[in-house]
Amino acid sequence: MNKLFARQLEKAKGSTGEVDLDALGRLVSAEYEQTTVDRRRTDRSISLMIEELDELNRELEGVVKERTGQLRQREQEFHAALENMSQGLIMFDASARIVVCNERYMQMYALSPETAQPGQTLHDLLDHRLANGTFTGDADQYTEQLRAGIARDDTSRLITELGDGRTISVVNRRMANGGWVATHEDITERRDAEKKIAHMARHDVVTDLPNRVLLRERLTEALASVRRGSRLAVLYLDLDRFKAVNDTLGHPVGDELLRMVAQRLRGCVRQVDTIARVGGDEFAIIQADIEGPQCASQLACRIRDAIRAPYEIDGHTAIVDTSIGISLSPNDSVQPDTLIKNADMALYRAKAEGRGTYRFFEPEMDARMHARRKLELALRGALANREFEVHYQPIVNLADNTIASCEALMRWIHPDLGMIPPSEFIPLAEEIGLIVQLGEWIIRQACNDAMQWPEHIRIAVNLSPIQVMSTNLMPVVVNALAASGLSPGRLELEITEAVLMQNTEATIATLHRLRNLGVHITMDDFGTGYSSLSYLRSFPFEKIKIDRSFVKGMDSGEESEAIVRAVAGLAQNLHMTTTAEGVETERQMEQVRTLGCTEMQGFLFSPPVRAPDVERLFAQERKSRTGAA
Amino acid sequence: MHVDQFEWSKPKGWSARGTADNADLVLYFGSREGLACGARYRELREMFPSAHILGCSTGGQIRNHDITDDEVVAAALKFAATPLRLACEQVKVPESSRACGEAIGRALHAPDLAGVFVLSDGLNVNGSELVAGIAGVVGSNVPLTGGLAGDGAKFEETVVGANCAPRSRTVAAVGFYGNAVRIGHGSAGGWDEFGPRRHITKSRGNVLLELDGKPALDLYERYLGEEDIKGLPGTALLFPLRIRDPERPDHDIVRTVLSVDREARSMTFAGDMPQGWVGQLMRGNFDRLSAGAGNAAQQACAKLGPHGENAGIAVLVSCIGRRLLMGQHVADEIEAAGAEIGTDVPRLGFYSYGEISPHSASGVCELHNQTMTVTTIAEAVGGIV
Repeated sequence: MNKLFARQLEKAKGSTGEVDLDALGRLVSAEYEQTTVDRRRTDRSISLMIEELDELNRELEGVVKERTGQLRQREQEFHAALENMSQGLIMFDASARIVVCNERYMQMYALSPETAQPGQTLHDLLDHRLANGTFTGDADQYTEQLRAGIARDDTSRLITELGDGRTISVVNRRMANGGWVATHEDITERRDAEKKIAHMARHDVVTDLPNRVLLRERLTEALASVRRGSRLAVLYLDLDRFKAVNDTLGHPVGDELLRMVAQRLRGCVRQVDTIARVGGDEFAIIQADIEGPQCASQLACRIRDAIRAPYEIDGHTAIVDTSIGISLSPNDSVQPDTLIKNADMALYRAKAEGRGTYRFFEPEMDARMHARRKLELALRGALANREFEVHYQPIVNLADNTIASCEALMRWIHPDLGMIPPSEFIPLAEEIGLIVQLGEWIIRQACNDAMQWPEHIRIAVNLSPIQVMSTNLMPVVVNALAASGLSPGRLELEITEAVLMQNTEATIATLHRLRNLGVHITMDDFGTGYSSLSYLRSFPFEKIKIDRSFVKGMDSGEESEAIVRAVAGLAQNLHMTTTAEGVETERQMEQVRTLGCTEMQGFLFSPPVRAPDVERLFAQERKSRTGAA
Repeated sequence: MHVDQFEWSKPKGWSARGTADNADLVLYFGSREGLACGARYRELREMFPSAHILGCSTGGQIRNHDITDDEVVAAALKFAATPLRLACEQVKVPESSRACGEAIGRALHAPDLAGVFVLSDGLNVNGSELVAGIAGVVGSNVPLTGGLAGDGAKFEETVVGANCAPRSRTVAAVGFYGNAVRIGHGSAGGWDEFGPRRHITKSRGNVLLELDGKPALDLYERYLGEEDIKGLPGTALLFPLRIRDPERPDHDIVRTVLSVDREARSMTFAGDMPQGWVGQLMRGNFDRLSAGAGNAAQQACAKLGPHGENAGIAVLVSCIGRRLLMGQHVADEIEAAGAEIGTDVPRLGFYSYGEISPHSASGVCELHNQTMTVTTIAEAVGGIV
């Protein structure tokens, strides 16, 4: 009997043990009812579940479709990225089989798609590369080393040189799955550029000679052998008149000249020596392993002779000379910087003592350099300390022996050193740029003093080339005149040929502006420079001052006399005044008057004197003129 | 240890009882209507002046192989060497469930605490929190079993009483002490998962708001159909929800519905419904549910020692959902459990709104739903007086 029915039967029994059929019917009926309900629920839940699962399935299908589309898109993007890489890329799985390889990789190593297709082994690939010459070495060994490297580090890098000259940088990166991805980059150009940059960092662009950096390195190396007992020399040289060539013929010619100089220098030295260009027209040479100083002086002579020979550049002939300073190691120093400095000092000396020569470094040069530096310091303070004075030397009209004008001359009276001659401090002031300030000061001072003088007497002030080139010359002159109240017609500005040699067009423009102001312009020291007549044509000077050397020379030879006559005659024809400088004797005075000079200046009449003294001279002259009248 | 079973019915009153007048503990279960008046408690108190008397309302009472709705079933337990302690707390709001559990734990905690049997209000308590509160204090090595009181299929009010007339919002527990007592426990469901897995996308404590982004109640109503919707929340028990933490997929828990909010489209369960967990509907097959009950009994007896040596009692707490589904077949699960326990061991129990027992896999005490849990209480042979 069914267990449930038995239970129902048991439950339907009354207290007497008889089955209550009604009760049994209720139990059985309830069970049927329950079963029906339950079946309905089951059916319902199953169909709902199917519905739900179906719905879910559709959703999943949608998701799969969408994801597949996304994957395809990603794959296309990945492919595009892969094929547009400038590097070659190849990926291997853990068993060293190709997973993917881009076009660039195949191009780099001249491989066909079949040889680099997925599934091929690294070994197969290397065999192909071995055959086409893009790989050299042992494929087994390479594979083994590569895999060991990747096992050791996440990333391994190597640079390989191919037989055709290309340089390839290879980076292998380990992947999580045990495989690796390799990127190959052709770095030939970058390498070449790096080499070029490295070369440029240590070489001069114009001459391709080592620069100061490499010079110092080579010198340091060479000095190591000095410590082992050998000797060396450092020659420091610069080109005299190079600047003039550069300015007149232009930078391209100047550069070509430098290249030719470099070439000639190369011809003078041995393989073991080093030539460097260390500045605009400065060169240095390390003469290694020499027997003695005579080797250095011989080389200096060879260089001087080589440099002196004329240069033909673009139809121009240029001539330059060289001055050379030499220092020796170990005698002068074993320190590279000191050796270079000493050679430079010797060069300075060589230039000071007349160009086109060479000098060995001597310890007292150092002392002199110190002295010069001391002087420089003193000079910088001199203006503020009121250590300058202006002295005046009268210029006399030869027609009536009266004072026509006075030349203002600067004097520096140092409290300790006493009177320092202009020949010492003017070049220094020019070198350190103080000349502009000094020039301004003297113009103002001279104008002020001249205001105390008789009105017919002019004041002459010298202009340095640097002053003329400076942009503030005009305002300085205008301000000095305005501040003093001096009439521009009483001011004479004296310039030398050197002024006209430099930056001619701008200089001439400045001179014209000054002249338009009413100021007179004088050509000073005529005959000491190039004495080119074209200078006289380039600007209408009102006066030429004939250099004292010609006046002095008249005593001993006819040449000077002829020159003075010619200049005086020329000036007369050009309606210019001529002043003979340095007249010391009555005879000289008579001579220059006879030769046609209109004025004279010199000790015969008066040395340069202080302002009160020159005023006394004016007074005397006035008195004598009055007396004569 | 000595056990006397007896029952109360309206026509007959209390049946004859054995000799255990000086019982230490009386357990009794009945319908809410049968207990709420307090008369049964007072009668028991008269019969057992010195015993702890613990009982609750149910969704059907179990007495050996019988299931009854009208009778009150009881058992008087006399221990030879096991001290007992009773604790009782009121729960005002479900949010204080953990605090209530902790208070019970503190009341019972002792170094020789050997087991705790707890009966709780079935509608106003978050069972998970309650269990966590007790276990947190007494320790996870102390077996904690019991159940949530029931109210037939009505889900209106449940009552629990401990040494007093049963009342609503009450939690009570008895602690067993010493080394003589042997507590066995087992818990099993036997339900089959069906349908797709769903994610708990929105929940608050034991209130489930959304599954897969859709209102949870919509899903249940769709499955129940118009007829059964009227029977909510009781009918929701036909489709229990098995939930699991995706981080610990082998640790799953079955949850049953206590109430529904048709406005908010939410459902309140007997325990937590953590957001992010995965849920799956379940459906019962009578044979497998019965086999599950047998399995629970087997687990409990395995902890008791050789069969027959220990005269004791088996307390069966099964879920109301099982009864609703199985109808008259529910007797099968009582039989299956009885066959494992042995017909000579008295069996007492009830259909509940939630079962409390250590998890059969993890051993962690938890609130279960839709399971049969079996607690065996015995004393070591040497302890028999």
